[in-house]
Amino acid sequence: MSFRIITITFRFAILLISLSACQEEEYVLPEPVSQLTNDCLKRTIGPNIASLPIEFAYAMAIPKSLGKLVSAQVEASIPGATGTFLEHRSFYTNSGGVDIPVTVGSPSTALDDGKVTRVTFSVDTNAATLRYYYIVPETAKGQQVSFTFSVNSSDGKTASFKMGPYNISKMSIKKNLAVTNGTNAFISIEDMAVYNATAAAAIPDKIDLIYLFRSAPVTFTHALVSPNADAVYLPGVTLPSDMKRSTKLQKVFGLQDRNLANLQYGIYVDDIDFKNIDMTNMPNFAVGLKAEAGVWVETSDKKYRAYVYLNSINASGSAVISMLRYAL
Amino acid sequence: MDEDGLLITFRSECFVSNFELLGSDFVTVRAAPAIIDTVAQTIDVQVLFGTDLKNVYPQFTLATDCKLEPKITGKTDLSDLANPKIYTVVSGNRQVRKPYRLNIKFQ
Repeated sequence: MSFRIITITFRFAILLISLSACQEEEYVLPEPVSQLTNDCLKRTIGPNIASLPIEFAYAMAIPKSLGKLVSAQVEASIPGATGTFLEHRSFYTNSGGVDIPVTVGSPSTALDDGKVTRVTFSVDTNAATLRYYYIVPETAKGQQVSFTFSVNSSDGKTASFKMGPYNISKMSIKKNLAVTNGTNAFISIEDMAVYNATAAAAIPDKIDLIYLFRSAPVTFTHALVSPNADAVYLPGVTLPSDMKRSTKLQKVFGLQDRNLANLQYGIYVDDIDFKNIDMTNMPNFAVGLKAEAGVWVETSDKKYRAYVYLNSINASGSAVISMLRYAL
Repeated sequence: MDEDGLLITFRSECFVSNFELLGSDFVTVRAAPAIIDTVAQTIDVQVLFGTDLKNVYPQFTLATDCKLEPKITGKTDLSDLANPKIYTVVSGNRQVRKPYRLNIKFQ
């Protein structure tokens, strides 16, 4: 009998514990927006590189009973380069995942020496999301930049949202340079440019690499070779006597930087990669290069490190290269 | 346990079963499969033209429970072709030691 009482008491205790442990929290309706409100997100990921955009989406809203949106603006701590603008179209995403624009104002104007970019609304609206494209200027390299987004409404109120600070990379980028065996084959990392033999002969101390294509031996194919490399890696090439830089190279495979690979893949080369890479004991030639492979480069004067990426190769002896350069 | 924290077993098998050589881009630099002679204790490997032998990653596959001396900890310099490197395979029971000479030739 006493055993039965103990069992019942125990079951009752378990029931009480279970009831208190599973107490449901009541759902609370979210508070609707009661005043001028704004929010922002940075859409661009990866390093912030001079000449490339940083993209933001700036959302703003005001209850219909309080008024409408009048203007939106962005103030950057460093004026953006040419091409910086705040969209005058608000985007929404349709069921197919496509961003659809709706014009809400006149195209943005730059004020205060380019620090401020403003859009004035031309339609009667109380909610919008505007994209902001900040083109990183050369002058911002190695610095930090921050942004203040703000919106004015017809009831005289202002809301603002701070973004950043963001580090601006010290890297420079150059994309889609065509190199051809025997003609446009002389590469300068300092200039981030490709020259023909005549132009290269005028600047021999700036030529870091020579693009070569040889079908024999079969593993030579596409190559980047330093002017001072052993003659075996420069077959049939006669260089001016004063073209003698010895550039260090390290082959890489599978490092398809998103910026260099024309927005394919999700890999980024960043400043820290150039800082940390060990280029001691690296050779001054790289043969047998393949499409979407690359080479780390260190110039002989140790002024620059670079990552040269092969966008495409052609069996007739040409290639398209892109490069990121980091000043040491 | 031995000095490396590895279990000493009863196995006396002691040989290299496979050999790979990777370049700094972690892509093979072999021109053909390595020839492993377990009697002569040699590994003959031909590498591609233009291989930078100062910066390569050798990879050995050994018999069960064996270990390799010296250890390969990262990039290895195999550029001194006149003096081939010797790698010693040590059996699972740590009683058998077999030195293998790594002979490298360019294509």
